[in-house]
Amino acid sequence: MAARQLLIAVLVLVALLVAVFLFALAVGAVRVPIGSLVSGDSVASRIFWELRFPRVCLAGLVGATLALSGVTFQTMLRNPLADPFVLGISGGAGAAAATATSLGWAQIPGLLPLTSFAGALAATIFVILVSRRAGRLDSSRLILSGLVMNAFCSAIILLAVSLSKASDMALAVRWMMGGFFTGSWRDVAILGASTATAWLTMVVIAGDVRMLEFGADDARARGVDPDRVSTIAVVAAALATGVAVSVSGIIGFIGLLVPHAIRSIWRSDYRSLIHLCALGGAILLIAADAVSRVVIAPSELPVGVLTAFLGVPFFVTLLRRSSNE
Amino acid sequence: MTIEVRAVGYRYRARLALGSVTTTFPDQQLVALVGPNGSGKSTLLKLLARVLRPVSGEVLFHGRNLEEWAPKEYARSVSYLPQEPSPAFPMKAIDVVLSGRSPFLGRFQWEGAQDLGLARDALRKCDALEFADRYIDSLSGGEKQRVFLARVFVASPAVILLDEPLTGLDVAHVQTFMELLRSFVDSTGVTAILVSHELNWCSAYADRMIVMRGGSIALDGPPREVMTESAMRELFGFDAKALHSEEATWIVPRVSARKPGSNR
Repeated sequence: MAARQLLIAVLVLVALLVAVFLFALAVGAVRVPIGSLVSGDSVASRIFWELRFPRVCLAGLVGATLALSGVTFQTMLRNPLADPFVLGISGGAGAAAATATSLGWAQIPGLLPLTSFAGALAATIFVILVSRRAGRLDSSRLILSGLVMNAFCSAIILLAVSLSKASDMALAVRWMMGGFFTGSWRDVAILGASTATAWLTMVVIAGDVRMLEFGADDARARGVDPDRVSTIAVVAAALATGVAVSVSGIIGFIGLLVPHAIRSIWRSDYRSLIHLCALGGAILLIAADAVSRVVIAPSELPVGVLTAFLGVPFFVTLLRRSSNE
Repeated sequence: MTIEVRAVGYRYRARLALGSVTTTFPDQQLVALVGPNGSGKSTLLKLLARVLRPVSGEVLFHGRNLEEWAPKEYARSVSYLPQEPSPAFPMKAIDVVLSGRSPFLGRFQWEGAQDLGLARDALRKCDALEFADRYIDSLSGGEKQRVFLARVFVASPAVILLDEPLTGLDVAHVQTFMELLRSFVDSTGVTAILVSHELNWCSAYADRMIVMRGGSIALDGPPREVMTESAMRELFGFDAKALHSEEATWIVPRVSARKPGSNR
């Protein structure tokens, strides 16, 4: 993909992002007239500025982050089915975050996202180590160990919630199906910082990550150190996923849906994909969150329900296609 | 001497893959590395490509130890084609070839018009320009391998290393591939080192054949001297006859169990 094509693609996606963003700001259980936004202290205005606006920002950042992690894992592991949710990395982050919350660590600023990041990193290392056979990553082992990881993490989440003082099962649902119920500007700031860090890291190593598409030996012969690049990529993707999950719970399939949709529209390598996927992920999750807010109004659907309905048929199609080869 | 291998050894965990190999590869030579499975020929090639690092001994390129070369700098001079290369995601042939320019790009630099021109040139040289906009996984084995040869050529390397590039190709494609390789060596003066099981094709096109066995070099010389009945029997366990023609020495199996209806 040449620089000019990339620019056009980015502009198209930015336009779409702005449209979806405005749409998401406009819809919701409470109607917010535009006039009340400027006047200041009405209830509608406070709902808009303190709840809805940060929430839409969070949805965008989480979507961007999950799509970035997805495209990074897919390229690095050379596996079209790799995604932070399928590999159990979101699960690891969710289990760590739920445990931290029930231990009361959420009060200490920064500790929750940090724990979540550690959980994501631990899950990634586990899944990759288990899937390694004779120095290569086995595709079906990756998926199986992700499955086991997810089952284990669901158990941890349920255990953590049951043992906590509140013992509130709704909280377990929040971790396991994801959603943006408690968005605040502070979360936006933390998530914004981690998303930017991950994205910048990926931009810096993009030229090397892209060479991993032909396998580790080929990359090495072309002057790339695959182990070093993979390690940096894993940490960046785990950071992004971990912090996102600490804010939104486990939202599945974004990392799978977005990169494949982008690839089918624009044939491009990792260096352009990171930008396009970040934008695409933001668009998809903002839209999904807006729909989940209104579809059964006045109550809300966890947004993970929606992404699972979209993602599962998609996963099955990909699985069938990759096993035909 | 372009590449000098000095007492190089390598082991995969407990298994010794390469004993102590010493040899040199001069300019403008097409060398075939042959030998039975597990004889260490791919390992030797990977050591030359810097994919693996020797456990003992050293490899020198233009008199400098490989460890002293900056990875990208070395990759500009020595181009490697791994066994069964394939991108993980659908990619057009032209992009596959363009990716061979990566050692020449800075960290944030993208391939420019000049790289695109070189990529098209390389495809043309490999008789694969017509596939430029086709997806690599839609090409036949032989077509695909020509695209990957273009990817190796696009770096205008001094040394090219090919790991079993003939596997799975039909005879016509093998012939095209070997003709291309031979003419590339003669016209540009590169050193080409090729790992293969295709003894007769190597005999016909290579300047030199190295037979490996058990992690060391058993025989090294022009094909005519290497392709002997005793070498086949002792090194490959292959009961063969050597036939001599003007072009090359050919190895054919000695057939003792006759088919019914055969007159001889």
